[in-house]
Order: sequence, then C-alpha cells, then structure tokens
Amino acid sequence: MFKVLTKADFILLILLVAIGLALSWVSLSGSVHGQTAVVTVNGHEYGRYSLSRNQSVTIRQNGHTNKFSIKNGHVQMTYSDCKNQLCVEHSSISRTNQSIVCLPNRVVIEIKGGDGYDAVSN
Amino acid sequence: MQSRTERTRRLTLSAMFATLALIFTYVEVLIPYNLGIPGVKLGLANLVILIALYRMDVRYALMIDLIRILLAGLMFSGLFAMLYSLAGGMISLLVMALLQRTGKFSMIGVSMAGGVSHNFGQLLVAALVVTNARMFVYFPVLVFSGIAAGIGIGVIAYIINRKLPSQLFKGGIS
Repeated sequence: MFKVLTKADFILLILLVAIGLALSWVSLSGSVHGQTAVVTVNGHEYGRYSLSRNQSVTIRQNGHTNKFSIKNGHVQMTYSDCKNQLCVEHSSISRTNQSIVCLPNRVVIEIKGGDGYDAVSN
Repeated sequence: MQSRTERTRRLTLSAMFATLALIFTYVEVLIPYNLGIPGVKLGLANLVILIALYRMDVRYALMIDLIRILLAGLMFSGLFAMLYSLAGGMISLLVMALLQRTGKFSMIGVSMAGGVSHNFGQLLVAALVVTNARMFVYFPVLVFSGIAAGIGIGVIAYIINRKLPSQLFKGGIS
C-alpha cells in the first residue's frame, strides 16, 4: 500500500504539516484569558461586553437575530436565526484571538484583552 | 471524429458521476458531525471528482463539480453556502489538476493538497464575507483536517481507481 506514495507526496505532507504547525504557533502564541467580547456586524463594531459580568445579549440587525451568553468568562452563542447553526454549535470561547462567527448573519464575536485594547493585533 | 455511441457513453458516464457526487454531498449533509470548528468535514464528493480527474479529464471534472455544487446549493445548503463550496471546489480542483499534471504525485498526495486548498478557499471567502481577517484563526485546524480528510479520500480513491475497468472512459478526450 505504501509503495503507492511517491517522494513528492512525502515532501508535500511534511510541508503541509509544517505550515499547519507554524500557523498554530502563530495563532496560539500570546493568547491569554480575555476580558472583553467585541461584537462586529458586517465589519462594523456593534458593541463591547465585559466578560467579568454574567449576561445574556441579543444582537438584532438587518432582520437577523443572534443571542449569546457570557458565563464565568466564557462566551457561547445560544441562539441564531441562521440556517446552518454552526455558530450555535461552536464551543465556547474565553481566550484572546478566539472568535465565534455566524457567517449567514455576518456576526463576529471576538475576545479581546482589557478594555478591548489589543496592541498585538491592531 | 468521435462516434455517436462514444459521445453518448461519455455523456451518460458524466451524468452518473455528477449524480454520485451529489449523493455523496447529501450523505454528508445527513450525517451531523460537529467538532466545534466549522468547515471540518470529510469531503466524500471529492472521491468522485478525483476519479473523474484521473479517468476523464480536468474539463469533465470541472463540469461534474460545478453541477454538484449548483444542485447541492439549490437543494440543501442554500445559495449563500454555495459560494463557499464554489470557492473551495474551484481552488482545490485547480491545485489537484496542476499537481496531477506534474506526474510526481500519487492520487493520495493530490487528494491531500486538494483537501487543504479546499479549506483554504472556503476560509478566504468567509474572511471576505465578514470582512474580518480573524477568520484565519481557524486555518491551522483546517490545514490538519484537510490533510487527514485528503489522505483518507485519496486512499479510497486509489483503491477504487484500480478496481475500475480500464476501458471506463475509452480513448482519451478529443
């Protein structure tokens, strides 16, 4: 079976794994527990919510509705009127650089550090 | 000059391939698996596209994939999701066709590159739609899932390809 694989296959595999590892390293480095959830709709900021307070937020825009909850510093999308429901199924997020995206409704929830000020990414 | 029967044969076979690809897409819609990250999936339909690429021609593979994406978009996922399938499908087909042409890669290697580039294409469109480059935090996971799914599909395609009759799509394309 393994005789099928060519030298080029292995080089490609190693290359792709290396790219994957490098990207993981880049996206995971500097990730700390966040303090603010920043909601962006269609590229424009919709609101900022502190992670230290447990709350439930409803985002209403352009006829779409999304709801998310903040509980013990973790953000979870609890409701979306979109079709694919991927954002609702997404695991909860709590660290900087993490985000939940609802593509059909164009809603992005990002975790940022204190006061939403993020020197590294901006 | 192709004979009439030969043309009919090809047309029928292409239609069968497109149907099979559509069924595979549907099977994946039916099986809900959620790993917490959107976009992680096996890509069963790529099995058909790979075989089409090797046994027919890149043009046939392209048409079969386009028909699959169009029909799947209209039937299951909606026009919006069609955009992602289209980006992923076209980029992966381009990459796979190029790698295949070099003659240096096996079907498994080609499929692996296809899996990763498919995920890259989808992510690219997703980042454009939400106008947020942060979408790329998903990319590391999608690279690895693309490799894994690509190898899996590549191995199956390789086995199937060997079992298929050699006269399946007779005498090249002209």
